[in-house]
Amino acid sequence: METLDIELPRMALLYGLCLLPWLLLWLIGLRLSRDIGISILRMSIQLALVGIYLKMLFNLNNPWLNGLWILMMLLVADLSILRRAGLKARYFALTTFTAVASSILFSTAYLVILVIQPTHYYDARYLVPLAGMILGNCLQGNVIALERFYSALRKNENEYATFLMLGATRWEAVRPYYRDAVKAAINPTIAGMATMGLVSLPGMMTGQILGGSEPWLAVKYQIAIMICIFTSTTLACIINLKLSLKIAFNSFDVLRDEVIEKP
Amino acid sequence: MSPIIRFDQVSVTAHGKTILSNISFALFPGEKAVLCGKSGSGKSSVLRTLLGLHPLQLGTVYFQEKPLTPLSVQTIRSCTVYIGQEPMLGAESVRDALLLPFQFKAHRDNRPTETQLIEVLQRLQLPADILCRQSNRISGGEKQRIALARGLLLGKKLYLLDEVTSALDAESKKAVFDVFSDPNLTVLSVAHDPEWLERCGIVFELEAGRLTQVKRHGNP
Repeated sequence: METLDIELPRMALLYGLCLLPWLLLWLIGLRLSRDIGISILRMSIQLALVGIYLKMLFNLNNPWLNGLWILMMLLVADLSILRRAGLKARYFALTTFTAVASSILFSTAYLVILVIQPTHYYDARYLVPLAGMILGNCLQGNVIALERFYSALRKNENEYATFLMLGATRWEAVRPYYRDAVKAAINPTIAGMATMGLVSLPGMMTGQILGGSEPWLAVKYQIAIMICIFTSTTLACIINLKLSLKIAFNSFDVLRDEVIEKP
Repeated sequence: MSPIIRFDQVSVTAHGKTILSNISFALFPGEKAVLCGKSGSGKSSVLRTLLGLHPLQLGTVYFQEKPLTPLSVQTIRSCTVYIGQEPMLGAESVRDALLLPFQFKAHRDNRPTETQLIEVLQRLQLPADILCRQSNRISGGEKQRIALARGLLLGKKLYLLDEVTSALDAESKKAVFDVFSDPNLTVLSVAHDPEWLERCGIVFELEAGRLTQVKRHGNP
């Protein structure tokens, strides 16, 4: 079963659909033409570039090149997590990278090598999209975990100090905020799994079905990816926060001001 | 007898501003001292510095004649009770708040019995049924006394108190004074309350982060 191609004139027809919301927005007085135009243009160019790159990646199917692509994704994710969590990359780049890379590599390797078992474990067709999907979700989780944890510590500075004064070690004193942050980070994934298939059809499954896969096969891959997302997000958040504790505090267990990006 | 606390030419800066400048004093076991001065004069900073919450710029802080270092700070913290103006109870119910420190490794083996809990509450004029109340439903004065009760349960000897009688009525205040009439307890406090000042043997006056005067009363 081959997916039907969308030829160029029909692509133009597709873009034409945007005219309807654009017109409605204009009629209710929202002047968003510029933003809409830029967004659609950026989406199209970025995806076209990814298309070209992936095509090349799939054709060459070189393990080093595939590895390099994953490394690039990890580096971009690392900086993006810290920027969005409001922490300085200068201090946390290494710890976040270690946590995210180890959990992504572990769960992707588990999935590809032990579960899917393609002829070549480095096969770009499996490795690149699966690692990318797991990483994308793991990124969200880590932003939430770091942001929650450090803003809770700053907001509850007195409470944290009280724990220390009552004889808590640094780890004992941060534990309530640590647990809350990890919970907030993995909650969307847990809730997502609970409603999967009822509220919306998951993206990867839809993609596979459109691509001609049997629904049953698509379901199995969707379950695989969800379990890997859940595992890697949990691992990465737990490791990331734990490693960051060594950097974010001074030797008297006080949170260092300079590690947080000023708003 | 050696002092329990000694500040030796201590200066502290925070956020680029000098908050304590060249402070030297000593406090011996059993002494009751109070720091007074205008707001912003650095009174609370003295307490916080002793607890390692402000890094020292110059000088040394000694606790039982050992310098304050990252290694010794844990000992200092586990030997002192610090009660701020708005004490944090750190748990949902009053009972959990009183038992909170006993969850930590440092105090895990000394968990008090129900009788000990009620006894210490009575000493501070608090009813036993307050144990079941929610921490966010109790008054400031009750919070201060619960924080104090927690210190007493831990059997600590050194109390750092920041305006601890500010929200208390006459009767509760008397109960607090009675607790600290114990000659085994050492107190370094911050207060404006004239009654409290009267009961403290030593008065340190601070002005803009400097120690300007030390007054000693006849009775400690």
